[in-house]
Amino acid sequence: MSDIQESLRVRAKELLESGEVATVIGWENGRFPNQTTPLITRDADRTGDLVWNDYCANTLAKYVLDTKSAGKTAVCVRGCDSRAINRLVDDGQIARDQLYLIGMPCTGMKDRATGELLSKCAECAHKTPVVSDEMLGEPTADADSATTTRFARIDEVEQMSREERETYFKTAFTKCIRCYACRNVCPCCTCRECFVDQRREDWLGKQNNLNENRFYGLTRIMHIGDRCIECGECARVCPTDLPLMELNRKVIKDMNELFGEFEAGMDATGVKPVFQTFELDDVEEFM
Amino acid sequence: MSVVENSAATPDVATDFEPKILAFCCNWCTYAGADLAGLNRMKYPANVRLLRVPCSGRVNPQFVIEALQKGCDGVLVCGCHPGDCHYVTGNYFAKRRMLVFKRLLEYAGLEPKRFQVRWISGAEAGKFRDTVTSVCEQIRALGPIRESGFIDTDFDADVLNAVCAPSVVSTEEATTIEEAAK
Repeated sequence: MSDIQESLRVRAKELLESGEVATVIGWENGRFPNQTTPLITRDADRTGDLVWNDYCANTLAKYVLDTKSAGKTAVCVRGCDSRAINRLVDDGQIARDQLYLIGMPCTGMKDRATGELLSKCAECAHKTPVVSDEMLGEPTADADSATTTRFARIDEVEQMSREERETYFKTAFTKCIRCYACRNVCPCCTCRECFVDQRREDWLGKQNNLNENRFYGLTRIMHIGDRCIECGECARVCPTDLPLMELNRKVIKDMNELFGEFEAGMDATGVKPVFQTFELDDVEEFM
Repeated sequence: MSVVENSAATPDVATDFEPKILAFCCNWCTYAGADLAGLNRMKYPANVRLLRVPCSGRVNPQFVIEALQKGCDGVLVCGCHPGDCHYVTGNYFAKRRMLVFKRLLEYAGLEPKRFQVRWISGAEAGKFRDTVTSVCEQIRALGPIRESGFIDTDFDADVLNAVCAPSVVSTEEATTIEEAAK
């Protein structure tokens, strides 16, 4: 990994000094051991701080929206970042030619506290970038096989009785503090003004209670469900550890069953997500 | 709106519970169907409240959650048969959305019968009556949503609003709230 880190620093410096890109986005060491934080820099001297290790957990793609006004952005991409980039390009948030993608051979990131593979990485079957302008190092052979199947947990929850599920999600939504971290980190959530921030429309109150938390939680999933790239960032950043991916993946699983297999963000060819299109012979249940 | 009071709806049922059902009806089909049911003097339970929308595609999933959490015991979304949409494609989008949304609500613990979707055309007054009657009976059997555990009953929005904005509460009201809180 250290040789990849070294070539990353060299390439980032070259890109900035040659003026090919205005900004570089990667990771740097955080304040705590085994912790990294995103590094967003326009200073070639800062590229020496870039790191590549087992704890580069943050998905970087969404930061390109903050840097696009300065010019072209070079961003380190793993599988999840690259799918997020495809998502942003397909959603018309950024032009692909405004990006330089440095592919990283990801093998999954580790939890800072436990040293185990993050659950979002254990379930990830696309660790190698699906799109990049250059790759640093070769992807390992087993990088693209998930250690746990992504719908395993959904099947478990579906097996519960209705009452158990009700209690399970009630407990979850009661814990929600509505910090909106899941929204802020999500590469699909790119509305300039989110419904939760609209005060006069009265979509959502400001009180913290089960009803409003659930209103937010379920709406969030209906807004992003068909475009979700399953990066798992929402669940990772949640300060109260809500099972957010169990809700996202439920929607994805149903969509796959109803409207055919679809994985968002695998390419940026403009294929419309499930809710934005229809087929005349869609499943009929409401007759 | 022609809602006929159905005197036959209550006596057979053991409980006094009268479900409150909100039906989102497409202006171009189900609403006309309901109107036709009224013109034909068809009898159906008065528990259903019709809410006219321009198209079933107008029904935002948020409307459904809001209705259930505000105490509607059941929600019914009615639109045109696929192929008959006044706006050509609206109900196709609604169909995809509601197929997924219904499963999501059930996954989150809602009783499946509490949220239903039906296609009812402007000529299908009988189907409207039958649908409303059967939905009403199903919800009646389930009981009030406030007792089902799906919604937060500990929380009383009105009292909390009053406490959070004391300036708009008169002294008498404040005393009443305090007493109610005890």
